[in-house]
This record gives sequence, structure tokens and C-alpha cells, in this order.
Amino acid sequence: MISDRSIYFVIVLAVFLAALCTAGAYYYLRHRRRRRFPYGTWESLLKRLSIVDRDKIALIAQEHLNELGPLRMDEDDSDLDATQIWSLIGGLKGLEVMERNCAVLVDLAFYVQQWYPEASIVAQQLRLNAREIAWHVGRLKAAVKTGKLETSFPDYAPQAITTYYLMTQRVLALYQAYNLPGLVDLQRAL
Amino acid sequence: MHLGFTDFLFWAAGLIGHIVLFAVILTRHRAKTFPFFSTLIAMDIVRTITLYYLALHGTRYYYRVTYTSFAILDLTLQFCVAYEVALQVFRPTGEWAPDVRKGFIIVVLASVLVAAGLTSLPPSLAKTWLAAILTRGNFFASVLMCELFLGMIALSVTAGLPWKPHAARIAQGLGFYSLISIVTDAGHNIFGTDRASQISVDLSLMRMVTYLICVTYWIVILWLDEPAPRELPAKIRGQLIAVHRLVEYDLRRLRALRR
Repeated sequence: MISDRSIYFVIVLAVFLAALCTAGAYYYLRHRRRRRFPYGTWESLLKRLSIVDRDKIALIAQEHLNELGPLRMDEDDSDLDATQIWSLIGGLKGLEVMERNCAVLVDLAFYVQQWYPEASIVAQQLRLNAREIAWHVGRLKAAVKTGKLETSFPDYAPQAITTYYLMTQRVLALYQAYNLPGLVDLQRAL
Repeated sequence: MHLGFTDFLFWAAGLIGHIVLFAVILTRHRAKTFPFFSTLIAMDIVRTITLYYLALHGTRYYYRVTYTSFAILDLTLQFCVAYEVALQVFRPTGEWAPDVRKGFIIVVLASVLVAAGLTSLPPSLAKTWLAAILTRGNFFASVLMCELFLGMIALSVTAGLPWKPHAARIAQGLGFYSLISIVTDAGHNIFGTDRASQISVDLSLMRMVTYLICVTYWIVILWLDEPAPRELPAKIRGQLIAVHRLVEYDLRRLRALRR
């Protein structure tokens, strides 16, 4: 005779196992997709890269770089104000696209590490850099959601967008240097 | 203790499997990379022989005490193997990746809490404290191992860290065995561990068959070499370092804004 406590235990265990298997399958499939990327699913990775208006991103970034110069961090006399930048990057949707694309940049660093283990020290640093940029973009997104955009946006947005822009340019340069597959597609996507 | 034909068959299969696996580990020089896993397999050989001897010539009490002692040692070594795999994944450059260390500690603590909570749920059917430790301890260990491997997979996928093939396969085998063990150990907690009960015997057989499958899997994958890494030309290495320096330069600006 099975007690009530045993039945309760079985129900909780069934829920736990279902959650465990679901999470396991989800992460395992994500891991497999990432590993198989260079041998046939390049297109699926590129599909994860959302289209951003490169010209507008480049405009914000170049404006910001010209204005700052290498050492001028505190200047606030940009020709583009916060509202214009907000409009140019496409608002919250634009930020979300940048955040998603940063995740793909982390994946690209993964491939370098996967293919050339001896370069893992530099690839590891690149991976950390990409994650940090994703963190900054995520912080901007969070500011939008908590209604603190007006205080956070002028400080963060131009720099985050500029860094994102430079990062994409450098990943492209990296792929060009390695002569890795899919460079043309990547250039189109980024 | 009386050993039936099925008991003898599993004893022999387990011993042969462990001896072959240990021979593969030694001849293919895997012990240096996986010292805890190698120790676990060596301990399993000693355990199988000792328990067989005690089953034929020892008392039931000594058998149970030795069985429980080896089970505790086995559990400790399994956690060491999990840590060994974590080191292979999360220390790609010889040092812990700074963005996953905190996450790994959280995974370990949360896993222990959830496993302890689940272990406290079933009613106690054991007649002795030794049997109670064994049934609950086995269940706790199986749940914890599953959670740890899942947490490690989730962390590595999120952070974008690749798994080395041999470490991944050892984790897969141990994770699969732990998953099946959750079911068999839960059954033992509900129906008891009495050898007169057919359900209890079937659950033990299910666990042993799963383990033999895993041992066979480890023999094959540890015999095979990992894919050879590609060589990185010096020119490309230089370019990679340059890219990293440039990105670091960009990030310094963002870091300055955070202060």
C-alpha cells in the first residue's frame, strides 16, 4: 500500500524530472547548434543576426568617435542629442536587436576557441569583451523598462552603440584575417 | 549470503567492464587528464572484488557496513569527477573564467538545496539507520549529480565556452546514469530495498544495466583520440591579439562611464 506521502513525493519528482529533462534538452540542442555551425548550419546562425541599420549605427558611432577623440571622455557637445540617437537606433526594438547580435558575437568567439585551442587565451578575452558589451546594451534596455531612460540614455547610449559598432567591425576583420567560411554573409548581416 | 546466477552475471560483467576501462585509461594515458575519474574506476574494481568476497564469506552486517562505506567513497569521488569536468570546461586558459565562477557557486548551492529538499520528501521505510542512509544518500547523490551537470551545461552554453570531447562524454555518461538512478532510487525509497520484493530487484537490475551501458560507452570514447586541433599560424595569432587590444580599448570607455 502506497502512502499519501509517497504519492506526493512521486508527483513532485515527476515535475522535477520533467523540468530537468526540458532544460537539459533545451541547453543540449543550443550547444549542438553552436558546435555544428561551420559545417552546414551557418545560415541558421546568420538568421539569428537581426538586421540593424548599419548606416545609422555607423553615423552615431562616427559622430561619437569624432567628438570624443582618444582622450575626451567628458565632453557633451554632440551634434546628435539623446532623442535623435534614440530615434536613429530604432528605440527599444533597436536595443533588443543589438543585444541579440551581441549574443551571436559571443558565439563567433566560441568558434575561434573551438577551432584553435592554442589561441584560447586571446579567444577567451574576446569572449569576455563581447559579453561585457552585451551587459552594457542590456543595462540600457533595463533603463528603458524601468523608466530611467532620460538619466541613463545620454550617458550610455552613444558609447554602447559605438562599442557595438566597433566590435562588429573587428569581428569582421577577424574573420577576414582567418579566412573563415561565411565572411561575405557575415558582412551582409552585420 | 546466497548469490544467484543473475547476481554472479552482473558481478562478473561489472568487474570485467571496470578492468577493461581502467586498462584503456592507463594505456591511452587518460589518467593524467582525469585523475579523479581514474581513481573512481580503480575504486570500483576494488569494491566489486571486496563485496563479492564478503557476500560469500562475510556476515550480512559486515557486508552492509562495507557496502555503505564504499557508497560514501563512490559519492565523494563522483563529485570530484564533476569538479574535474568543470575545471576542463570553465578554465579554458588554466584560470577560472571570471564571468562563470560566481554562477558555478550558485549552481552548486542551489543544487544541494533542491536535492536535500527532494530527499526529505519520501517516507522512511528502512529498518536500520544504515539502510536509511543508503537509500536516501543514493537518491540525494543522483539528484545532485544530475543538477550539477545540467547547471554546467547551462552555464557553458550561456557563456559560450566549448566542452572538450572526452570531458563532455564522461559527463554525458555520468549524467545519464544519474538520471536513471533518480528513478531507481526513488523506487527504492517508496517500495523499500528488500531483496524479496520483485520491484526492488527489478529496479536494482535496471540501475546495473544502465551502469554497464555507461562503462561500455566510456571504454569506446576514451579509447578514441580527441580530434586534433588545428595549428594557428603566427600571423593570425598576431592579428587575434591586435583585435583583442582594440576591443579592450573600446571597453575602457564603457568602464569609465560606469564609475
